[in-house]
Amino acid sequence: MVNDPIHQFRIHNILGPWNIFGHEIGFTNSNLFMLIIVAFTVLFLLWSAAPKALVPGRVQSVGELWYNLVHNMVENVLGHDGAKFFPLVFTLFSFVLVANMLGMMPYFFTVTSQVIVTASLAVFVVALVVIIGIYKHGLGWFKLFVPSGVPIAILPFISLIEIISFLSRPISLGLRLFGNMLAGHIVLKVFAGFVVSLLAVGGATMLGALAPLAMAVALTALEFLVAFLQAFVFAILTCVYLNDALHTHH
Amino acid sequence: MAKPISGKGNKDEDQSKFDDISARLNDLSSRIAAEKGQKAQAEKQSPSYQGASDYSKGYRLASEFVAGVLVGALVGYGLDYVFHTLPLFLIIFLLAGFGAGIVNMSRAGNRTPPTPEELAKMPKPADDEDEDK
Repeated sequence: MVNDPIHQFRIHNILGPWNIFGHEIGFTNSNLFMLIIVAFTVLFLLWSAAPKALVPGRVQSVGELWYNLVHNMVENVLGHDGAKFFPLVFTLFSFVLVANMLGMMPYFFTVTSQVIVTASLAVFVVALVVIIGIYKHGLGWFKLFVPSGVPIAILPFISLIEIISFLSRPISLGLRLFGNMLAGHIVLKVFAGFVVSLLAVGGATMLGALAPLAMAVALTALEFLVAFLQAFVFAILTCVYLNDALHTHH
Repeated sequence: MAKPISGKGNKDEDQSKFDDISARLNDLSSRIAAEKGQKAQAEKQSPSYQGASDYSKGYRLASEFVAGVLVGALVGYGLDYVFHTLPLFLIIFLLAGFGAGIVNMSRAGNRTPPTPEELAKMPKPADDEDEDK
């Protein structure tokens, strides 16, 4: 079916599959686009940094803007000692941003519309938060789940809620990015599908195709905004969670 | 063109030159002041890094809540699966997850990013770096 809005998310093998230790592993279109994302990011940043001009040109400005955005974010949320997490946050932000933006191009696969990708990133971030928290504060970090000043009678209940609240972080982090990208692309495809169906009817109904077309154009603009915002939110929440691990309040 | 011979003429020329220079100086300093004012205003107005739009904020709150309930249900169902007590833990953890979702939401809503002043006040872990903010 031509107008199947889900078809764009289908994963298929480009090479393989090979049998590796009893698992069928192939090189999929998702893998291909991940490589493209990394290559694009690296090459673009190298290209933008190449002139090393004091007064930046157009490309260099974009590179500097990109860098400064993340740098200010890390500086603002994590403070000065957070500078060592800048490479991590910059990498995450760049990957998600470029994945979202490339996904907006026609015929391109959107890596971040796969829940396994966003969930992996989110679980990685939260696992890192746990490791840093324990490394910095020792086992005292687990006091996070036992807030002070709570009557002993309801403490178990509060702890349970705190633990579930903490466990929900990777879910909300990963689900938000995945949900936004998936929903956005499906809605775009559905409205574009309306245009095609209305045009196929012919006659005066073809004029009716203008409405979904206008909608599709507006949604495209909105989706570009969402693509940037979600990358931004992902990066800033990474910073916020890292900040919680670094400066735990009791 | 003949040069003015009289001393008076010379003085006039000097005076006009001086006026010209001081006028240009005034102009420059006023332009610098204007630029500075603009810059300060721009810095004040630019949302430093806070999540840019209300749309993302709303979506964030919703997803925080859903995540809490979802995790509660999953944990409860998992415990039931292990201990073969199907509805018991699912009910308990679903309710706890509901609570956790509310806690998440209220936290996300209240968590405005710290201002530079707040950052300066924050207890820092042992670190030899100087705070210059």
